[in-house]
Amino acid sequence: MMDTPPLYSTSLKLAGSLAVIIGSFVAIKPEAAATEVDFVHQVVPILRQHCGECHSGEESKGGFSINTRALFLDDDTAIPGQADESYFIELILESDPDYMMPPEGKERVPAQHLAILKQWVNEGMTWEPGFTFGIPTYEPPFAPRRPTLPEVTDGRVHPIDRIIDQHLSANAQPRPSSIDDSTFLRRISLDLIGLLPSPEETRIFLTNENTDKRSQKIEELLARDIPYTEHWLTFWNDLLRNDYDGTGFITKGRTQISAWLYDSLKVNKPFNEMVTELIAPSDISSAGFINGIEWRGTVSAGQTLPIQFSQSLSQSFLGINMKCASCHDSFIDRWTLAEAYNLAAIYSEEPLELHRCDKPTGEIAQAAWLFPEIGQVNPEAPKKERLSQLAALMTHPENGRVPRTIVNRLWGQLMGHGIVHPLDAMQTKPWSEDLLDWLAADFQDNGFDLKRTLRTIVTSNAYQSAASMEESTPEEFSFTGPLPKRLTAEQFIDAIWQITGSAPTGFHAPVARGVVPPELVQKLSFPSSWVWGPSVDNEGIPKHGEKILLRRDLKITKAIKSAGVIAAADNAFVLYLNNRQILDGVKWESLEAAPVTTQLRSGSNQLLMVAENRGPKPNAAGAFAALRIEYKDGTDDIIVTDEQWLVSETIPKGNRPAKWELQKLKWESARPLINTTWKSKTDSRIGKTLAFASAGSEEKVRASLLRADDLMRSLGRPNRDQIVTSRPNEITTLEAIDLSTSEKLMSHLKRGAEKFATRKELNSYRLVEEIYLATLCRRPSERESKILTQALGTDPDVDQITDLLWAVALTPEFLFNR
Amino acid sequence: MNFDIDPSAPHPIVRRDFLKKLGAASAAAWMSGAPQMVRGKDIEHPEATADACVLLWLAGGMAAPETFDPKRYAPFEKGMAVDSVLSTFPEIDTAVDEIKICAGLESIAGVMDRGTLIRSAVQPDLGSILHSRHQYHWHTGYVPPQTVACPHLGSWMARVLGPNNEVIPPFINIGQRLEGVGEKEELKAFTTAGFFGSEYGPMNLPFPEQASQAVRPPDGMTNSRFTNRDKLFRQLVESNPNRDFASDHQQESLLRSMDNAYRLLNSKEREAFDIEKEPKEVRDRYDTGRFGRGCLLARRLVENGARFVEVTTEYVPFLHWDTHAEGHNTVDRLHKEIDRPIAQLILDLEERGLLDRTLVIIASEFSRDALMEGKPGSQANDQATHKVEKITEEKHYGLHRHFTGGTSVMTFGGGVKRGHLYGKTADERPLIAVENPIGVTDLHATIMTAMGVSPKTEFTVEGRPFYVTEDGKGEAVMDIFA
Repeated sequence: MMDTPPLYSTSLKLAGSLAVIIGSFVAIKPEAAATEVDFVHQVVPILRQHCGECHSGEESKGGFSINTRALFLDDDTAIPGQADESYFIELILESDPDYMMPPEGKERVPAQHLAILKQWVNEGMTWEPGFTFGIPTYEPPFAPRRPTLPEVTDGRVHPIDRIIDQHLSANAQPRPSSIDDSTFLRRISLDLIGLLPSPEETRIFLTNENTDKRSQKIEELLARDIPYTEHWLTFWNDLLRNDYDGTGFITKGRTQISAWLYDSLKVNKPFNEMVTELIAPSDISSAGFINGIEWRGTVSAGQTLPIQFSQSLSQSFLGINMKCASCHDSFIDRWTLAEAYNLAAIYSEEPLELHRCDKPTGEIAQAAWLFPEIGQVNPEAPKKERLSQLAALMTHPENGRVPRTIVNRLWGQLMGHGIVHPLDAMQTKPWSEDLLDWLAADFQDNGFDLKRTLRTIVTSNAYQSAASMEESTPEEFSFTGPLPKRLTAEQFIDAIWQITGSAPTGFHAPVARGVVPPELVQKLSFPSSWVWGPSVDNEGIPKHGEKILLRRDLKITKAIKSAGVIAAADNAFVLYLNNRQILDGVKWESLEAAPVTTQLRSGSNQLLMVAENRGPKPNAAGAFAALRIEYKDGTDDIIVTDEQWLVSETIPKGNRPAKWELQKLKWESARPLINTTWKSKTDSRIGKTLAFASAGSEEKVRASLLRADDLMRSLGRPNRDQIVTSRPNEITTLEAIDLSTSEKLMSHLKRGAEKFATRKELNSYRLVEEIYLATLCRRPSERESKILTQALGTDPDVDQITDLLWAVALTPEFLFNR
Repeated sequence: MNFDIDPSAPHPIVRRDFLKKLGAASAAAWMSGAPQMVRGKDIEHPEATADACVLLWLAGGMAAPETFDPKRYAPFEKGMAVDSVLSTFPEIDTAVDEIKICAGLESIAGVMDRGTLIRSAVQPDLGSILHSRHQYHWHTGYVPPQTVACPHLGSWMARVLGPNNEVIPPFINIGQRLEGVGEKEELKAFTTAGFFGSEYGPMNLPFPEQASQAVRPPDGMTNSRFTNRDKLFRQLVESNPNRDFASDHQQESLLRSMDNAYRLLNSKEREAFDIEKEPKEVRDRYDTGRFGRGCLLARRLVENGARFVEVTTEYVPFLHWDTHAEGHNTVDRLHKEIDRPIAQLILDLEERGLLDRTLVIIASEFSRDALMEGKPGSQANDQATHKVEKITEEKHYGLHRHFTGGTSVMTFGGGVKRGHLYGKTADERPLIAVENPIGVTDLHATIMTAMGVSPKTEFTVEGRPFYVTEDGKGEAVMDIFA
């Protein structure tokens, strides 16, 4: 018996129990009578099966609904403790076709089910707290809504403030106090570009008397394209499940969208264009999102690629959890199995059979999306067209859901808590519908401009107010100020690198950092030069399946600033630099590109390219590659495929070139080719592609460009095998152990300390001040200064400074963006 | 008592009150949207028969017919037919009359009377054998891919049971490198607390001999400097003029974690991580290599209150138990690697009075066979490197196919019967489980039951229930418990 419903689990339990039901029809066990009946596992399936169709959800035939216990008890339809007196039991037992329930023609309630129901009634009709057969009543609006802004009060004209001021007074909450310049500077810098301001920048900002300096700072930060991109990359990689390493890559079941994403952020590509390119990709560069992660072998019906598509798209852009509905009709919101599969069918090449809890149902999904009120995809159209139609619906002017979902995420990033929260549950009622709708419409009406919405939020008084210390649950949230956010793994590591000047020089993201001058594109716009092996001699046509190995050795004698490589082949290739795979491709018309600055070394280097001719019969084959190296002295070298390359018709076994015995192969000169088809498709793109691949950047390397390491993982960077849209807000014991013992962290801090130690102009007092400006963007209080100068003594050594840096970096004030 | 709460209506429950009751830590978890355990009348945890669990993981596919389930021995002969090979090792007697195991495991044979040997574990085929996928399944109970990041078995114990000793992290993972090895990303995918968050994740100690470094001040830092550093940190926290910026739970979680870390790094238990503290003759008894040293480390950790420790022979594609060629010779070497330290671990735990409450499990992702890939009727690709019908060279002599139809799991202590045999595989190919087959789900249920955790234990994540055994359906094999 349920004496006291557990205080904490009401709504969660609801979701849990509801979802238990499906897939557990098996849970009706014959031994039921021996123990107390289990409402969730035993009673609910029976009620649903025999009564649900007419008496649950929106149906209440004869004025009777079983949605809640109270409704069930109406008119003594059921009397707890007295099964034999309960009207509904009588009706089930009734043999008169005019009275019997379920009505004549329906399946009778089997004796064992009836026994369970009677036992349940006799035991008091235990009901799961919060459980309902009904569906949650809140349905968010779909269309955009442009609320009228409330009156301006006290000269606070910013649209966000007008809405928030009204919200505050409705909730009888005081306006949060505003923050000082140093808090503002640290917060805005971490939020917009993910970096700490330098001590110099902080000093200038704090002494600047211009009343407009905060807006100026905001503009300045938003204009720093590379730092902005490399900060927001983390958010988007999480949201779009993109990484440089991870499950699926080993079996080539996954592709990155890194370069596309990076470039999109760099030019502040309108969000509707991003969505379009992700959903209906025109080439492989943005296809990784919808293509998901393909595992070798069989996977459950709820994780096939079309279903992943349905889930990812719903979660990222619509804030819909389709994971439940892709196994059975969802219990936590209104989505059904059919809707999940119909959405998946837009992506599926094959007819898609519905599977309920991994078992086929015999029904075939019909390609359709979730909100037909603004239009529908044509299920008869080919896949490519279906995807384009879906992209158009997702970015349709009458679609308010997609803009709401993304602006809510941006708000959540900046304010620590969504207007709808959790961020992935957009079926939930927002704490301010006006705020959400105004922001979304403003975003939509102004070109889906992400930076513009960020600017709108951070220029508000609401953003620039003191951090809230209120603890509240999503259900009763009201705005009392932004919530402090823990630095992400990337922000923490970037900050340490910044303070200590110890950022690495290499990185893993296959992206072109830096900005490319048009003159460079012009200069690099040379025609392609294709080669193949001896099979083309005497007008020979290479056999299908023929493979060649191309090789180019090169010596580098000058210091490298940056380098990049591009390649293509008819039909397929893998390119290795110094025995590491750099590129591969299977489409001759697509130029693959990658920066290789860190893979090159001074002295001998070697490019190897395995090229393969495919097709049903002998046909033309060719391979093209170009490597550009820019040196620190401003000069550059360009190496392209030509007769200086060597070719072998024998390919050593295995895919590890380091083990190949190249000296045993028969090498001859590669054969240059003339083929206008290839050139017409590739030549126009060479300049831009190679320029981007080989352009370096002056900006320090950021953690977001690196693969996750132990420390980053322990600090909460997710594996990105699933979409994870929020990072942990706490520091765990294992992280604390890592941070206390990490040799890596210590060596960074030590390098920083060594730099501070050489600055002989700083006495201990000034040193502490400098460190505080660098880490917390403020000067130490008198008390802090006293403690620390005392700890340092008059002539601090590197160890003392290292430990001081560590202690500051572990304080809550440092670890949070407050 | 109100039974008809409309979920969309404001809750009548006084939230402030519940926050107080929850305490800062759980409130923090709540706030961050972390998964919550669903507690209700319907989950009754069984009484635990074990307080700690040691999983000895023979990564790569331990051939049962070469270890715990000997079949007809076919000595090497040039030209012998592959299909004549069931086992390449003769059987030997054990401390239990009716149980024979393979030659090479004489020490384990000597402690066979301390445990229950399960010979009928089975795995799904998954259409294609990718070791890390089967390992994911074995370690989490769920077949990847999954829509949420699944927690490792050890994380479930850490989350539900917590540490035995507050100072020792509850989940310690010994012997597996997660960088620089093949399929490392796939390994990371299950070597994690998943949606529980890193508080419940593994403390990874890839090299047992270096484990002590993970719990001592950074290299070159004296104890007094370490203490001073901590003091400085505490002074800074105390004197911070902005200490009120964040809600208490956020600060508390950080400071509590720092306290925990400092406590471990200053505790006497930290010596548990240092196998050099063992007398040389003890170390020698264990030291057959990294795995043997890992067993010694596991023993020291269990003695000091670890909850779950995994020691692996390490998964590296095509190495160790992943025998695609040279099977017989490789397994001969592997016998030597595991035999002494495992037996010693059992004896040491027993001597210390810990075996009764420590469940030790020896397992692998699947078995191997000389001929059959997957199981009868399987679609799985044959991945043997040398597909020969007749064995002409010694490198062909061994069990080089992945077999999922029946394998052995050895269990000791923790309430299991002593000298007991459970399940049986066929005597002739296919060597499938013919009696009491037990899948991963029920095996997990059995392990969790021994640890006092109901197989139906569930958490709510992203609005859905998530169970410790797949869909809460695991049924413990009670027959193996004394």
